Amino acid sequence: MTVEAASPAPVDLDALDLSDRDWWAGPPSVRYAAFAALRRERPFAFFAEPELPGIPVGPGCWAVTRYADLDAISSQPALFCSGRGAVSIPDVPADLNEFYGSLISMDDPRHAKIRRIVSKAFTPRVLLDQVRAVVDDVLARARRTAEAQDGVIDVVTDIAAPIPLRVICDMMGVPEDARAGVLAQSTVILSGGDPELIEDENDPVSAFLLAGMELAGLMERLAAERLAHPQADLTTALVTTEVDGERLSSQEIASFFILLLIAGNETTRNAISQGVLALHEHPDQRARWAADPGLDRTAVEELVRWTSPVTWMRRTATRDGEVNGHRFRAGDKFLLLYAAANRDPAVFRDPEVLDLARDPNPHVGFGSKGPHFCLGAHLARRELAVTFRALFDQLPDLEVTGEPNRLRSSFVNGVKRLPARLGGVR
Amino acid sequence: MRVEVDRDLCVGSGTCELLAPDVFEVGGDGVVRVLQPGQADEGAVRDAAAQCPTGALGLAD
Repeated sequence: MTVEAASPAPVDLDALDLSDRDWWAGPPSVRYAAFAALRRERPFAFFAEPELPGIPVGPGCWAVTRYADLDAISSQPALFCSGRGAVSIPDVPADLNEFYGSLISMDDPRHAKIRRIVSKAFTPRVLLDQVRAVVDDVLARARRTAEAQDGVIDVVTDIAAPIPLRVICDMMGVPEDARAGVLAQSTVILSGGDPELIEDENDPVSAFLLAGMELAGLMERLAAERLAHPQADLTTALVTTEVDGERLSSQEIASFFILLLIAGNETTRNAISQGVLALHEHPDQRARWAADPGLDRTAVEELVRWTSPVTWMRRTATRDGEVNGHRFRAGDKFLLLYAAANRDPAVFRDPEVLDLARDPNPHVGFGSKGPHFCLGAHLARRELAVTFRALFDQLPDLEVTGEPNRLRSSFVNGVKRLPARLGGVR
Repeated sequence: MRVEVDRDLCVGSGTCELLAPDVFEVGGDGVVRVLQPGQADEGAVRDAAAQCPTGALGLAD
């Protein structure tokens, strides 16, 4: 059974448990079949909340899978807020929520004011030249690694991880000697509690806190340096810009710093590794794109739709109401399943087909309409376009040789390892 | 065609700058500025207004 099959296997929605992390690490075809069944039969499906050790279990949440419903919720931020938590289904203590969510878990007007500090740095005009040198160097290193290992490399470790890490660290002004630590801490914070990535599976919260403290420590060091010697980097902007006549608090700065590092790393890393995998599974599409740079723009959008690196964000109702016929109460939680909306046949023709020329492609891989639309969308597009073109030109013999090792997380559609080899290297 | 920016809604997402770079540029304050509205490519500007994530662009003929 493949995802392209005309009539997918029936899904027992009563047995479906979205809080089961193992289910999220399973085959994508199973997830997409479940999303399709939810869209058809239970567009607002109520689910129990995942247990997070040390945090009280909440009342449950509505899983939203139809494109039109995501759009309606996301574009009414006053009615469906982010400030009570956007990246965690259970309510976590307020200080933790603010610290790890930063802008993502904040509402306007403060959200907009803080976001604007860095907006300019993430616009298409500014990003034109920043990425290519990094990509060329990473691919040259990947080739040398392959040469030293009988042609064997890992797509995640050798290609997908270092590219966005170096780009965002350059933008932030993070020194070389701190970057390995940034990657390690960022991986822990978005591990979803995957036992391979944290020390104690029963205590993920401590692991998140420890990783956050490490990054906050780095930020404190950099903040002091930048206040004394301002540079042309984002960290300098964070510590020197005033909002409503005041500088950000040191906690706000640390938390924004952590958000930019994590969001800059985890999303594009997985879009690249899942993209390499998707092209491996669709060799005709790969050949077509490799031969035609004119496809770069639409191909990148389609890879983001296809991979949906961030699976969901949460919103919380601020009062009783109704959305597209669904009645809800104040405090109800909604899980916006972007990965499901991105395969909604009401919007995408043949949504289960990877079509690198798809146009228009109004995917929600960067979020639906609303003030929280991905800050790094243009950066991600640029990183993906440059990376795949460079892969075609510089590592044309890159071949995936094994199954991906998938992250056990509902939040990030992650790949931990993807074995590959360079055919021309011996 | 006149283009108006709601400065409270705009978060400088740069969507309009991507679609109509001759017309829009996010400023250093994180809010978009309208350049050369007179020479605007009308189709691109309408796309930009429709696709703005926060609905911050208003058009008037």
